[in-house]
Amino acid sequence: MSVPLLVVENLTKTYASKSGLFRKSREARVVDDVSFILGRGEVFGLVGESGSGKSTIGRLVLRLIEADVGRIVFDGQDVRALDAGSLRKLRRRMQIIFQDPFSSLDPRMRVGEALAEPIRLHRLRESAAVGTRVEELLRLVGLGPEAMGRYPHEFSGGQRQRIAIARALAVEPDLIVCDEPVSALDLSIQAQVVNLLADLRAQLGVSYLFISHDMAVVRHLATSVGVLYSGRIVESGPAERIFADPRHPYTRMLLEASPIPVPREMSARKPMLGEPPSPYQTLPGCRFASRCPHAVDPCRASPPLLSAFDDGGRQAACIRAAELPPVALASDDESLMSEAYRRRLALLREARAGRVS
Amino acid sequence: MAEDKTGDDLLRVRGLRIGFGAGPTIVEGVDLTLAPGRLVCLVGESGSGKSLTALSLMRLLPSHAKIEAQQMRFEERDLLSLSETEMEGLRGDRIAMIFQEPMTSLNPVMTVGDQIAEALVTHRGSSRSEARDAALAMLERVQIPAAKERMRAYPHELSGGMRQRVMIAMALVCRPALLVADEPTTALDVTIQNQILTLIDELRSEIGAAVLFITHNLAVVAEIADEIAVMYAGRIVERGSRAAIFDDPLHPYTLALFAALPRRGDAGRKLACIDGQVPAPSAMPQGCRFAPRCPFAIEHCRQETPPLAALRPGHDVACWRAPIEEHMA
Repeated sequence: MSVPLLVVENLTKTYASKSGLFRKSREARVVDDVSFILGRGEVFGLVGESGSGKSTIGRLVLRLIEADVGRIVFDGQDVRALDAGSLRKLRRRMQIIFQDPFSSLDPRMRVGEALAEPIRLHRLRESAAVGTRVEELLRLVGLGPEAMGRYPHEFSGGQRQRIAIARALAVEPDLIVCDEPVSALDLSIQAQVVNLLADLRAQLGVSYLFISHDMAVVRHLATSVGVLYSGRIVESGPAERIFADPRHPYTRMLLEASPIPVPREMSARKPMLGEPPSPYQTLPGCRFASRCPHAVDPCRASPPLLSAFDDGGRQAACIRAAELPPVALASDDESLMSEAYRRRLALLREARAGRVS
Repeated sequence: MAEDKTGDDLLRVRGLRIGFGAGPTIVEGVDLTLAPGRLVCLVGESGSGKSLTALSLMRLLPSHAKIEAQQMRFEERDLLSLSETEMEGLRGDRIAMIFQEPMTSLNPVMTVGDQIAEALVTHRGSSRSEARDAALAMLERVQIPAAKERMRAYPHELSGGMRQRVMIAMALVCRPALLVADEPTTALDVTIQNQILTLIDELRSEIGAAVLFITHNLAVVAEIADEIAVMYAGRIVERGSRAAIFDDPLHPYTLALFAALPRRGDAGRKLACIDGQVPAPSAMPQGCRFAPRCPFAIEHCRQETPPLAALRPGHDVACWRAPIEEHMA
């Protein structure tokens, strides 16, 4: 078997903060001993709530910020050991897109130039061929060549995100870190960008580290998933297994709390307790114990280790992971919707397919 | 919703039009009716005019906004003819509003307790100590842990979810008849969103307030709505009960929104997108505004605006082609 594209081991990042003039500085461990593997052409979904450390992990992997501890191995190369020159070369193969595409596009640069720049910088095409390549990139993300002469602000949010994706693709990367790429987009535009990312993976074999708090989008795109809570991965494994039978109580809470587009009675919803602990707070046991409906005394005494508990490649950091009964999650499957709903959606899909072809 | 009910409606808006200066009309002909205790979701994507509609009810639009309506009645008052002073008396008392970003309505240099108490002093003439007691009770009601200590906290010392609770406490402390909630959970994590939705639902039945809930999230709508109005390009294109919209969706735009949702079992399948873009207010197409993006559109759709009319009892749609299966055979 070939080496995985990305191996992350024991990644840790701590921030020190002075909370007051004469107060002692405090430490916040925002990423705590995180390990995962991203296979070639795969999508690793990193899910968790704000403050869980998921965006920090994306930046650590690209060395946009430096880790305190841990190893990042990209295609066999130890990323943290690279000098500036080698890192620059490697960066061509690792790109990032953000929730706000403006943050990766220069507002004063025309789109054509923004896409041509990285191609020239990395000498990926003869100068005569750069224009053709830019057109090709725009076509790949569903935009016409007329986009080249325009500025980012002239485009809608969804189009800007496509341009940011085209720019990331310009250097022909193997990995794209997608940090909440569809969270700010309207539903219909979100669907376009999700489809685009899926197509690019199928066509070009790009791998994604897909960071999101939206469980439905992650379920749609990811091949494997890591669930973060308070800086630690509490559960990881193949996406379908995690969504079908979540084992960690926090994964269960996240899935139970995620609203689904199927009408239910409010009373059928489970109450969600509490909030995550502050990253400054040191706790002897499991960091989820205070909110966990299944916590027992040993949970509060020592931190549970992320360990394998089945042969399907699944890991959970919970001493009760194997013994918890399966959780009944409300389904949002289309087959549960009314006959009229399904019939009309089928007509819509048919009509759209007819119109596109 | 379709019939012209009168009498016990709390809010009745007919033919609402909003534009800015000499510019084009952005919201055109919106009708809304809210009965006490009901939760109506106004659903739409950016540019649909849903937030403008909400802000116009509060008269919170900038002064160059042109608001016209055949009727805009709230509890026997004509909202459009009230003086600014009268409107100020209404806001925060009978009509309250919560936003996506709580810091827009919280005062950063005032303690949480004082901010909640202030509404009672201003609108109800309560004494300082009465108001503080009521503020504390309200903070406890919205489940702020250690409420007594948090009374003295400043907004920046609280988490996003806690700030959202403070804003809800502030909005509801005067027991308003109408709560306008503009994307109040959009910026929150799902577990906190779940808590806030439950809280809004409980409080509206306790207080008996009507809620106009603005969101683009259909999953949130499925959880909380009694009634739903779907907006597209400044117009309501479909409205009805939650069951009507989810079990019997009629407008092609509503269908298109549903088709864009990633559901279980969809992994690896393409999501249905909507071709094209929302038209700019200055370039609204003639006829049905969704027609250029609608795969079912025929020439008639591009010529003549379909009226929002009851196709089923209590279920209105503005589409010449609905229900589509009867027109496709």
